[in-house]
Amino acid sequence: MKQVSLENKIVWFLYPLPLLCLLTAWYFYTVDSKEHQFIFSSPAQVWQTFLRLSASGELLSNAAVTVFEAAIGFILGTVSGACLGLSLWASRIVARVAKPYIVAAGAIPIFALAPIIIVWFGIGIVSKIALAFIATFVVAVGQAYQGAVTVDAKYLRLMQVFGATKMQTFRTVVVPNSLIWVINAMKLNIGLALLGAFIGEFISAEQGLGKMIVRASGTYDMATVYVGVVALVVISLLLTSLVDLLERRLLRWKQ
Amino acid sequence: MSNDLGQALSVSALSFAYVKEQKRQSIISDLNLDVRQGELISILGASGCGKTTLLNLIAGLLEPQAGTIKIAGGHKHNAVGYIFQEDALLPWRTVGHNLRLAAELHHHLKASNETNLQDYLKSFHLSADIVKKYPGELSGGMRQRVSIIQSLLFRPELILLDEPFSALDFYTKLRLESEFYTLIKKQNKAAILVTHDIDEAIAISDRVLIMDREGKFSGEFIVDLKEREPEDVRGTPEFATYFHQIWSALKSNIAYEAS
Repeated sequence: MKQVSLENKIVWFLYPLPLLCLLTAWYFYTVDSKEHQFIFSSPAQVWQTFLRLSASGELLSNAAVTVFEAAIGFILGTVSGACLGLSLWASRIVARVAKPYIVAAGAIPIFALAPIIIVWFGIGIVSKIALAFIATFVVAVGQAYQGAVTVDAKYLRLMQVFGATKMQTFRTVVVPNSLIWVINAMKLNIGLALLGAFIGEFISAEQGLGKMIVRASGTYDMATVYVGVVALVVISLLLTSLVDLLERRLLRWKQ
Repeated sequence: MSNDLGQALSVSALSFAYVKEQKRQSIISDLNLDVRQGELISILGASGCGKTTLLNLIAGLLEPQAGTIKIAGGHKHNAVGYIFQEDALLPWRTVGHNLRLAAELHHHLKASNETNLQDYLKSFHLSADIVKKYPGELSGGMRQRVSIIQSLLFRPELILLDEPFSALDFYTKLRLESEFYTLIKKQNKAAILVTHDIDEAIAISDRVLIMDREGKFSGEFIVDLKEREPEDVRGTPEFATYFHQIWSALKSNIAYEAS
């Protein structure tokens, strides 16, 4: 036990090291060269830009738009996808018919459809929600369906012996069994929802982090681009830790 | 139906065959079996002779192609309890919630189950706080005890057991056999045990049946032992006699399997 805790301490101590190395290298590479600063910006410039964008409220309002689009798309896509995937358990025939479509939908590079989605839904936030929805929906259907069909036969046999109705078996065995799969879908979907919203904004938008990054890179404002990218990473980490929290609550029996 | 009084199970002229890739497999043909209330019988036989299929037919998990199966109280949904080799406790439910499963599905079982639960836990030497644990936290023997209690709380007329003790270590097995035997006799329930273990069959049965390759019973032994404590019964001379007789009858089936 003692060794494990020592190892943990070392790991925690070493965590910031790669980041510090990167920042140091970046600093010395850009500190004395206007040309390098133009192409790569510099830690100081990025920090100042971050302070400026935060003070003006620009960063927060753009981040809020992107998070809103991604979150709505994520919730709608994951919930409806999981419901559809689970309901396929009810009919073997429907499930068999649906299976090649689920596989095919999983293979579509959804973001290649982004330009069409923007034509359909306009350049407002609806098209970004739609992109996040489609990307997350496909994953949720596939995962929930897998969860529903991989129920151990011994549980189904027990329910049969206990004279359970199909609906009771669904509620008592199939849904809880799929929970691990649905939570996995949620983990994948956080990244996909943010990516969907971002790509929508990247192609055409009025606001959001994607728009901020496109506009900045158009004017070679590298510092703003970096601030936008870091903001996306932070948002993604925060949302992932939310799902981790949910997982720990729902899958308490696994610990 | 006064002539059925005391009869827990009556199987007559039962036939069943799987058809897989145009081959008939695991056949039961023209099988008859009667089990009285309070009677514990064991079925021995070579692997794949149809023992488990017979239990599945009695439990209603399979439909027979011919013959009849009459279970006392057969009109009720909970006529049969079934305990498998591997427990089927739902891993995401606590032991308590697993034990309440039958009552959740059938509300009329609820009231009596809550009071019976504590007695059952005591009979199987389980502490009361086990209900808060998850199945993953229990040993194999404890999980199988919980499975047995789960089936008993369903209050079946007839209990089917498909090698429920075979995955346990020897001492756990002896103890569980003893606990199960005592409880079944106290409740005067009927039970059918499918097993490969001749010792186990003799130790806890009133009758041992041998199933042959044709899916019929080829031997029947009434086991009448004075000593029934599973820890001690195996040392008695009567036990050795039964073992010898049953093994002689079973040997021909096993030899057939090997050839």
